[in-house]
Order: sequence, then C-alpha cells, then structure tokens
Amino acid sequence: MKRIFTRISVLAGICLLAINVAFAQNITVKGRVTDGGDKSTIPSVSVLVKGTQNGTQTDATGAFSINAPANGTLVFTYLGYVTQEVAVNNRTTLNVVLQSSSQQLDQVVVVGYGTQRKIDVTGSVASVKGEEISKQASVNPISALQGKVAGVNITNSGTPGSSPQITIRGTGTIYGNTGVLYVVDGVWFDDVSFLNPSDIENLSILKDASSQSIYGIRAANGVVLITTKKGKSGDPVISYNGSVGYKKVTNQVEMANATEYATIINELISLNDPAATPLFANPASYGVGTNWYNQGFRNAMQTNHQVSINGGTEKTTYNFSLGYTGEDGIVKTQDYKRYTAKFSNDFQVLKPLKVGYTLSGTAIRTNDVDGGIFRQLYAAGPVVPVYYADGSYGDANDFSLGGGNNFNPQVTLDFFNQKSKNYRFTGNVYAELTFAKHFTFRTSAGGEFAQNEVRGYAPVYQATQGQRNTQSKLDVRRDENRNWILENTLTYKNTFGNHNITVLAGTTAQRRKNYFLNSSALDVPFSSDGDLYLALGTAGKSTVTDGGSLTTSASYFGRVNYSFKDRYLLNATIRRDGASQFYGGGDLWGNFPAVGAGWVISNEEFMKDQKVVSYLKLKGSWGKVGNAGVPVNPTTLTIAQGGNLVAFYNGVGYTGANINSLVPSFLNWERTVGTDLGLEAKFLNNRLSIETGFYNKKTEQAIFEIPILTSIGTASGRLIGNQADFQNRGFEFLASYADQTKSGFSYSISGNIGINNNKVLSVVTGLNPIYAGGAGIANGALATRTIQGGPIGSFFGYQVAGIFQNTAEVAASAQSASAKPGDFRYVDVNGDGAIDGKDRVVLGNPNPKYSYGLNATFGYKQFDLSMDIQGVADVDVYNANIAFRFGNENFSKDFYDNRWRGPGTSTTYPSANVGSTNNAAPNSFYVEDGSYIRLRNVQLGYTLAPSLMSKISLKKVRVFVDAQNAINLFGYKGFTPEIGGTPTNAGIDANVYPLSATYRLGLQVTF
Amino acid sequence: MKTNKNNYIQKIGLIALCSTILIMPACKKDFLNVDPQAKQPATTFFKSQDDATKAVNSIYGNLRSWENTAFPALAIESIPGDDAEKGSSVNDASFLNNFDNFSAGSTEGQLAGFWTGQYQNINLCNQVIDNIPAISMDASLKARYLSEAKFVRAYSYFRLVRAFGDVPLRLNVPKDASEFNIPRTPKAQVYAAIEKDLDDAAAGLPQSYASADLGRATKGAALALHAKVAMYQAKWDQVLALTNTVMTLGYNLFPNYEQSFRLNNENNVESIFEIQCEIIPSIEGSATSQYSQVQGVRGSVAGWGFNVPTATLAAAYEAGDTRRDATIIFRGETTPQGDIIPATGDNPMYNQKSYVPFSLIITGFNEGAQQNVRVLRFADVLLMNAEAANELGNTSQAQTSLNRVRARARGGVIGVLPDVTTTDKVALRQAIWKERQVELAMESDRYFDVIRQGRGTAVFGAKGWKAGKNEVWPIPSTEIDLSAGTLTQNPGY
Repeated sequence: MKRIFTRISVLAGICLLAINVAFAQNITVKGRVTDGGDKSTIPSVSVLVKGTQNGTQTDATGAFSINAPANGTLVFTYLGYVTQEVAVNNRTTLNVVLQSSSQQLDQVVVVGYGTQRKIDVTGSVASVKGEEISKQASVNPISALQGKVAGVNITNSGTPGSSPQITIRGTGTIYGNTGVLYVVDGVWFDDVSFLNPSDIENLSILKDASSQSIYGIRAANGVVLITTKKGKSGDPVISYNGSVGYKKVTNQVEMANATEYATIINELISLNDPAATPLFANPASYGVGTNWYNQGFRNAMQTNHQVSINGGTEKTTYNFSLGYTGEDGIVKTQDYKRYTAKFSNDFQVLKPLKVGYTLSGTAIRTNDVDGGIFRQLYAAGPVVPVYYADGSYGDANDFSLGGGNNFNPQVTLDFFNQKSKNYRFTGNVYAELTFAKHFTFRTSAGGEFAQNEVRGYAPVYQATQGQRNTQSKLDVRRDENRNWILENTLTYKNTFGNHNITVLAGTTAQRRKNYFLNSSALDVPFSSDGDLYLALGTAGKSTVTDGGSLTTSASYFGRVNYSFKDRYLLNATIRRDGASQFYGGGDLWGNFPAVGAGWVISNEEFMKDQKVVSYLKLKGSWGKVGNAGVPVNPTTLTIAQGGNLVAFYNGVGYTGANINSLVPSFLNWERTVGTDLGLEAKFLNNRLSIETGFYNKKTEQAIFEIPILTSIGTASGRLIGNQADFQNRGFEFLASYADQTKSGFSYSISGNIGINNNKVLSVVTGLNPIYAGGAGIANGALATRTIQGGPIGSFFGYQVAGIFQNTAEVAASAQSASAKPGDFRYVDVNGDGAIDGKDRVVLGNPNPKYSYGLNATFGYKQFDLSMDIQGVADVDVYNANIAFRFGNENFSKDFYDNRWRGPGTSTTYPSANVGSTNNAAPNSFYVEDGSYIRLRNVQLGYTLAPSLMSKISLKKVRVFVDAQNAINLFGYKGFTPEIGGTPTNAGIDANVYPLSATYRLGLQVTF
Repeated sequence: MKTNKNNYIQKIGLIALCSTILIMPACKKDFLNVDPQAKQPATTFFKSQDDATKAVNSIYGNLRSWENTAFPALAIESIPGDDAEKGSSVNDASFLNNFDNFSAGSTEGQLAGFWTGQYQNINLCNQVIDNIPAISMDASLKARYLSEAKFVRAYSYFRLVRAFGDVPLRLNVPKDASEFNIPRTPKAQVYAAIEKDLDDAAAGLPQSYASADLGRATKGAALALHAKVAMYQAKWDQVLALTNTVMTLGYNLFPNYEQSFRLNNENNVESIFEIQCEIIPSIEGSATSQYSQVQGVRGSVAGWGFNVPTATLAAAYEAGDTRRDATIIFRGETTPQGDIIPATGDNPMYNQKSYVPFSLIITGFNEGAQQNVRVLRFADVLLMNAEAANELGNTSQAQTSLNRVRARARGGVIGVLPDVTTTDKVALRQAIWKERQVELAMESDRYFDVIRQGRGTAVFGAKGWKAGKNEVWPIPSTEIDLSAGTLTQNPGY
C-alpha cells in the first residue's frame, strides 16, 4: 500500500514539474468568455492559437490571457458549446460569446469508442453533464440520474453509498447480471459506487441497440459511458466544494402503540384458540410503550469535501482531485466514509503522439448494521421497554412474546459489530498516434484492483434471554477483484466534398478475476481492535473457505459513420465477441451487428426559407447486442462439496462430495434485438426542442433457471438454459424550453417521460408459468408469476372478495374447511366450489409503465434555483410486511385501526390472524399502487458578485442550500414504493430500507 | 529531422497495430478456455477410491438436512400422529396444524420439502450405485459402499412410499432429459425395489465397524429396516425371520431408557441406525441438523418448541412407566441433567428424546445440532418380533419379546408394568400396539404405525382423518404441475 502511494506522489511530482513552461512572443491578448444564453462567464474554456499547440484556459471568472501572433486566430472550445474561431487582428482585448450547443447543431456527444456530433447520431444516446450529477446530495453518481433521462428508471435504496438499481428501457433479462455496463474512461465496471460524482465530466447513456452494439457482449442491459474530468491548458484552477447536511426519515410508518399492540395480540390469541387466556391482562396498563422506529432512527449527518486542481500548458495538462464523503445511516450506528483521489495527466509528447493516464484510488469504510434490523424495528413489541429502570435491557421473554419477536432491537444495534473496508485502484494508460493525416491509432490498457474486507465480531454477552452469545466469534471475509482490459483502435476520418466518413476498427481483450477468503475463529478476546485477529482464537476451532471466479473475453469491432451534406446519415457497426463463459458447450463466439440511418430534413434546400423549424431530424436504427451475464462455466458439471455433505463417523468429520446438480449440454448467447425510430426537432430559434422516440426491444433465448422435477433429486431443483423471449416496447418524449428575459431572468424547463410495456413472448415451459417471489413472503409462498403473454414477474395470487363476517358465511363458502370469521374470502375463479391454486389470478405488475421527470432551472442576477420532480406511475408493489409473521409481531397502526374485530367491523381488512396460512397466501390485499411523485431535488444558490471577488482575491464564491426527496407523494402504506429486486422478485417490500430526505448547506470556492 | 522522427513513430505505430491484430487471434483459443474456479469438474470425479469414499460420505451428510430431519419430516411423519402436535407459539407456523387436522392440501410446502429431501438422498445414492462399479478400487470396500448406498436408498423410498403410496421409482441417475419425467410406479413395485436393495445391503454390509467408521449402515440396520418394510406389508413370516436374525447380532436394550437418548450414549448397544450429527466448529457449515432445535423447549435457550407431546400420549402410559417422564419434558420440571424448565410458557410439554441439556447448547450453531436422530432401535425390533410371532401363532415368543421391552421400562421399580400374560391373539396384538405407542413415542413411528394397523379412523378420526383418503398425503402440486400431467394426484386431494 505504502509503495503505491509513493509511486503516486512521484508521478504527481513529475506532472507538477511539467507545468511551468512559458512562451514569450507576439502580443498578449486578454478577454472574457461568456455564455450566449444567460451571459454568465464560462470558466475552463480552452483557448488555443490556431495551428499551434499554444493554448490556455479561462479562469473561474471566464477571463483569459494568451500570447498570440497579432494576425493569428484564437480557437475557443468548451464541451457543450459551439467552438468559435476569432481573428486577433491586433486587438489586445477580445470578449467572446459562446453559444451553448444544446441550442446548436455542433453539440458533441460521447459514444462508444469516441465522440460524435449530435447531428450525426442515428441511435438513441442521452448525455448528462457531470455538474448535474455532482450538484445533488446523492453520494452515488448513478442515484443522481433519477428522473433525468427518459427511459432510464432508477430505483434508489437508502443504504448509505449503495448503488441503485438501473433499468434502461424495461427489464430485458431475468437472470445473472441484470445491471448495465459502466465504461469509465474505457475501463468496464459492473458498479461505480466508488466514483466521486465531482470527478465526472459527462455521462452518456446508450439506450438503443445500434449505439450499444459496439459493446456487444455486455450491452444488452444498456451502457453508461462515464468520462472523468481531464486537465485543460491554462493557469491552475483550484476549486473547493463542500457541503454539510443531514438525512431524515420521511413517510415513517406508524406502528400500533403498546396498548393497541396488547389488544390486538390478545385478539390474535383468542382467534387461534378461543379457550386460551389472554397474554395481556390489562392492555391499557402499557400506555404507549416503546416506539421502536423512533428508538432506532436518527437524523443522520452528511458531509462532503472536495478539492481539485486543474490546469496545464499546451503540451501537458493535469487534473488532480481529492474528495471525502461521510454519510451516517438513518439507523443508529451505521455510517459510511468514502475517500477518493484522482490523478490524470495528458502529454503531447510529439506532434503526432499523445500519451496519458488516469489513476484513481478509493477507500470506503463503513460501520454496518444487522441486515434484519428493519424487520426487528417493525416486529418488536412496543410493550417491551428499551431499558428497565435498573438499566438492563427490556426483554421480550419477560412478556412471553414468543419466538417471532423475541428480541430487543437496541441489543441488536449495540452488539452487532461489523466493519467493512473497501480499497480500490482503477486506472488506464493510453497512447494515441496520428499518422498519414487521417489515421489515429490508439492503444490503451486499463484495470482495476479492488480489495474488500468485512470483519464481524460477536462478543460474549447475555443481554436478554434470547439475545445472547456464549462463545465469541470473529468472522473475516476478504474479497479481491483483479481485472484488466486491453484495447486497440484505429480510426480513419476524412472529409471529401460533401462526404464525411469515419471508420473505426478495434480489438479488445479482457480478464476478470475474483477471489475471496472467508474465515472465522472462536473465543477471540476483545479489548481493542488490535485483538481482532484469527490467530487469537481457540486452536482447532477456526475455519477457512475460499472461492472465486474467472472470465475472459476477446473481441473485434468496427464501425462506419458516413454523412452526406449533413443531410443523409448512415452508421453501421459490428462486434464479434468470444467469452469464456461459453467455452466448451456453447456458442463461443457471437456476432452483434447494427445499422442506423438519419435524415436531417432541416438542412434540405426546401427548408431554407421557413422560420418555424430550426432543426428537424428523422432517424431509425436496428441492432443486436449480447448478454454474457450468465454464471461462469454454466455447461460444466461440477462436484458439490460442502459442510452439509460432511459425514460424521464416531464424532469425526469426513469430506463428502458428490454430483447433485444438472447443467445444460449447450447454451446459446442471450441476445437483444432492438429497433429504434426517433424524431428530433427544435423550434422558435432553437428555444424549444423536442425529442421523441419509439423502440421495440426483443430479448431472444433469455438464459435463466427454471424449476425441474424435484424427483430428479438435484440440490437446487433448477436447470439453467435458453428459456424465453421477452419484449419491451415503448415510447419516449423529451421537451425542453430555455429562454431569458431582457431583465436578465433566465430559465429552462425540460420534461421527459418514458412509457414501457414489458411482455413475455414465449417460455420454453410453454404455458407452464415460472413462479418466483418467495423471499419475504409468509410460508415461502410464491407471489410472482412469469408467463407467456404477461409481463415478467407479475404478482399472482388470490383475489379477495371480502371478509367473512360470521361462521354462517364461512360454512356457506368454498373455504368452509379452512377459513374462520375475519379471514379473507377469496374469489372461486374456476367455480369448482373449492379455493385452491387454480383460483389464483394476476394481481399486479411490478414493472412501471410510466416514468417521468421535470427539471427546471432559473437564474436571476446572482441567484440560481434548480428543481427536479420525478415519479413513476402505473406500477404495483407487494406489501409483504403485513403477513410475514411467526408469532406476536407488531402491526402497523393502519392495520390496527382498520382490522376486522367482529361482524360488521371491516369488509376489507382481515382479523389480527392475518399471518395464518389462509390469510397470508399471496392475495390482492397485499398488492398496492406503487405510483409516486416526488420533489427529487431543489437547490437555491447565490454567487457573490464579481466586484466583491477582486477584493477578497477569490475567483468565485457560491453558497447554496438544497433538499433531496423533501416531498414524496404516494398512496402506498409502507415506507417507500421504491422497492427494486431481481426481475422475478421485483417490487416485494420485505422491510426495505426506509426513504429519507437530505437537507444541505454548501459552499463552492474557486481560488 | 522532425519529419524523420514522425515517420519513425508512425512506422512503430503501424507495426504495433499490425502485430496486435495478428497476435490476438492466435492466442485466443487458450485465452478463452477458462476452467471452473474452486469447483472440481464432474468429469474428474468417480475416478478413484477416494472419490468413492467422499461420495458415500455425502449420502450420510445429506441425511441431516432440514427436509430429512426438521419441519418437512415432522409434518409428514410425526405431527399427524396422536402422540405429537404442532406446539410452539399458537401464532407461529400455524400451517403445521394442517397436518394435525388433515386439512393439508397438495400446495402445503412441507409436502414438497419432504418429497424433495428424499429424492435428494436417492440421487446421491444413485450416483454412487451408477458410478462406483467402474472405479478401480478395493473390491470389498466397493461392495460395502454399494450396499451402504442401497440401504439409504431403501430407507428413503420407504419414507416416500409410506407417505405418498405410488411414487416415481428412479434406480439410476437419469441419462438425459428423456428420463426426467417419469410416471408413478405402483406401490407394490416400489416395495419390491426396496426389499431388493435391503437384501443386497444385508449381504454386503458388515455386522459392525471399527470405531473410525462408527455410524455407517450395518447388516443389522439393513435387516431391521427390511423387517419394518415387511411389517408394513404384513409379511409376517419375513418379519419374524428377519427380526430373529437381528436378535442374534449382539444388540441389547440399553439399561436406562432416558439415558439412551443423551449425547454421551449415542450409538449404544440398542442403536441400530442413527443419523450422525455433530458440531465441529472447524468444519464450516456442517452443523446442519435442526432436529433438536425445532423441538427444543421454547422460551429457553434450546429452540423453537415444535412437535410437542400431546395429552393423549401423556395419558397413555401405565402407572409407574419410567418412559413417560423420559419422553416428555413437563413445564416446571427439573430435568435429570438439572435444567429448570420455566413453569409458564407456550406449551405444557416438549419432546425429551430430542433434548440436549442447556449447558451443551452452543450459540452460533443450530441449537442441539450435535444430537443424533435415532432411526432404528433394538426395542423396535423386539416389538416387531413380538407382533410377527403373535400373528403367526407363536404366543410365547411374542410375550417374551414384548415383556423384554416392558422390563426395561420399569427402571428397576418392582410392581409396576407387569408382564403381559394374555394368550389371546387379539388382546396380545393390542398390547403390542400399545407398547409400540409408548416405547416409540415421539420417534416419528406412531402415525404410520396406526395406519398400517388399519385403525386410522378409530384413532385419528376425531382429528379429521378420513379412510380412503388420508392413508397417504397428496403429491406436491408443484411436482404435478412440472410433470405436465404425467404425475397423477392421490384420491381425495
């Protein structure tokens, strides 16, 4: 570790030395660069003397100073703005106005292995500026995408620093890796929670198959390209961004209080056994008791600091940054700290040769909480005090609550001791050679080395009768990832006459290795962290197991972009991938082609004279992408060997191993074929822009496990294979309007909506459905069904017709054998006079049909205000918390207030016996509307006037206050309808991490 | 000069480019050939004696599984009897009541669990039986291993046929998908296959093992199980002959009934077959048995308190029978090992045969995971012997065997549990059945024993048992669905 840091500092030293190159000649030109829209100054604009490497960049106030020939030309470039060339003409002061390219046609977007002018793009690519991500309170950069891009659905979780679930244009796979591919500066990742959002320059989301297909093998779930900040020529710009704030639980579920709890538990006991004596003789005597949620939750601090230095000469540029993010969990004792460091350098070694690198390091340290804590806070009996008067823990046993909630959550918080440390180094080096005028050869090597350590310690303690430990145990898990990627690309770019052509050819090789070691020791003493070593445990009682995975892939790819007169566009891509997953018993190689075409109607002669439409483009594309996110070596039958198969003879253990699984003999690639049609238009002199698109995405030969006859005797009862075809069809619409008034008030409003329909086209099991969704459901019943013609993972169960009010009603019903008054009356769908599995129907769809966002910014003088509203609609969630019971778990206040408690008391809510087999079976009562709309972000900023700045010799000072998730509107009765889950288990709320709102105060200073 | 330098660089670039493109395909074939990590490919297994040993070990290991020893097994084989009921908190796992009141339909998860658990045993046995013969290894060891596998296969099929009647009979690992979906084989043929396996097993298994192999299936185990299988088919000649043989193999009743179920008396002289369980912290994940945990005294450190003795059982013992207090932990009592059972709590009684003294409970592991499950005891053999002798008219042998069991139950107290002296065949049969009820209580014998005796309606009728239906449980609906109609349901379900 020490050595790596030494190397980093040496490298940094070298880079710093390279900065002090000066140049002296000609005349000094000074000036300021401003935005043509809101007239604000633009920092970090690259200013270059045309035809030379002589350049600088503007400072935080948009000012620049450069030595240039008196008859020369200056080129002003900034991502997102139209590049402008200005002749010097002996002038020493040049004030330049750059037009935002969002209103122009030269806007450049990042695509796979390069950039393209937006006008040339024939697929569907959405671009989000890093600033839009980093300004939000989200610790994870992907969380911040929520509501920003049509067709991109983000499901956030409240765990500090955790990655959200991201779905691009619907669920297209149901097994293995369902996540998108992240490409960070050319290196492939499955997760980017290690990234500091402030280091991101740009995010590009490849939504359609034609733009994804250049990433063939891993692109089927979508691709997010992340470009981190690079150095820009010019004087060093030092920036500090900081914020401090807190998170608070919102929409907290109200639980029954102690009196109500005692009442309903007595009711439950008498429902199960009318002769039994009530558990609580006098419910009222318990008062309100303990509110366990209030006991477990807190207002959690969030702190952010980030320092960056950016600058360079015409030959060397650099960007360094250091960041710290600290976030406490809203559950007591949980916290998350992330330290990031990033270094990047680019060197123009020779005129045709450029080399550079990006290196970043992340350290994440967390204090974890028991995964079951939310369940415990929900279930714990409010009659149990946190502490007794003598200071000892309140004990559920003293109240005879039984096994279902025989715990005091405070004990769980106090005695759960687990720390995680995650260290990660990622980086890439490249060399780029330009030759023969039109050719660029680029070679790059990137990689990732990550180490994760989770250390848990259970001390010896006796807190309550049920919560105790007689033998201390230390668990250590270490995980390592060692991945590399090598890429070579050759680009040919030329313009002749009205023809523009770019040809790309490339090769890639990748290797991904994971290794983990799990170990434990008993009787480890604990007086300090220094004791927590396995070696201090009792001899002969420690365990070690390990495991790992290795995959490799090799690929060729190529692409041709052609345009004629900026009117007719043609793109074609092909990628050929080989993946070790499919070695020996599968299609080792897969081909992924794509084509796209576009017509820029507004550039046609006949459009020249009209004033209404400033830009109009029609585009269409088709492409094929693959999904190698399957288990490694899926066609290789392996031996099962584990503790469960160990035999004991005379008290001694002997290794057991055998074959207890099945594998398919052959496996094909799962692939997605997508068609995309789109229209882009701008009106009112580019102030109003509209983008709309239609897509049809078909997943073919989806790979997943289906249940097989258990009489075959395998351990899992499942067999992997190419089992189904799915379809996602949808429509996306984006409109934005930006303008400013003469008084200096500027604003922009944009709205997006994505509509998606998910459908299973065919399943290998024919009309036999695939059942899933058992996790968190009472009695392990399966709450979802995936069947031909319906969406993936539909909720499935009995339709509730009402509540049985009395024994006569029960006796007269199809449920006479099993039901009691107060139970659900189910619809006898097939009318056979019995309620059984055949009476189950589709109850809901966890795949949202509509997802939308509304983003607005306002600027007036020194003030700026931005606001994001976001939501989903036409979606269902399954509230599994209500019926998941083993005994005397607590109930929500809503359930308590509305429950059936005698004839005529309720026709919708069942009795307290909601956990019985009859009532807990998946049914329509538990399926609720999952739509929500929220004020995702609101931020108000104030930038100190430039006149003030010169007095305090700072370039820029901005202060802001903001709030994330401040207002959430939904009808769902749990904490949050934002549930997530794997595709066939999605939307099932089994005590999810509660929703929280974040409020911050921040400061941005540029020196 | 500068131009030259650029040309030079360009040439290097072109060479690098071409070589990269040329080299990559060349190394590709090996590059993509990645072996499974941390897993042994099956093609390299079943090659050596060591592999055979490990495969046989896995059969014994899997017998500890949840499906074999916990909820699924107790739901199907114990709770429906009149000796046991669900227990635990009224509100906990109330679905188990459906097995006590015979309302369980084909979707009850415990049915699928029990079915799966048995077929998992059978697969492991079939792997051994199919693959070991080709291994070049010690011939006598090979024969013994095959016999051990056949014993467990027979045991698993016996549990299946008793629970479900006709079941799919798999005596080999399916060669390909065409052998996956097979229909149910008639009960009689399943019994014939079980008997064939047990004949083979008895021929190939040793009478006893050196201590390092203690716990493996023995000849006595195969013969005793065979006797039980024969008894379920009322083949009394066979039962008598087999039990007579077992009685010559050196087994005896352990003097103290209560003590015979404690940890330090596992594999004692009375034991014929036990599922071997241990807690060995250095063997990760091996303390899998939840047999004792699910039945442990609720509200104590011992477990969840399911499958508890009924008042019917408590009342079934004759005055002075030491087995009553040895089988049932009563609330408020102090156990012989000194554990004080709290006077108040969910259930009045708990199973003492699965009981592990509190001081031996190790936190961090399933409570009582070291307790062996007693599958076949010599007392059972004696009672089978008595019943067979009586059915065949050999009254005095029947009395001798029966009274041997009763004698031990007196616990040295004189004047209680007098010898049974009746010579009336019917009365003696009743006495033997009664003795089975109390001697084998809480050992998952009673429920199917009563059905075998043809007394289902008489004994369980009040709980909802119906003749013509409840002799067997329903085939799990999930399995019928997956078979697309190849599997049929039992009548009445």
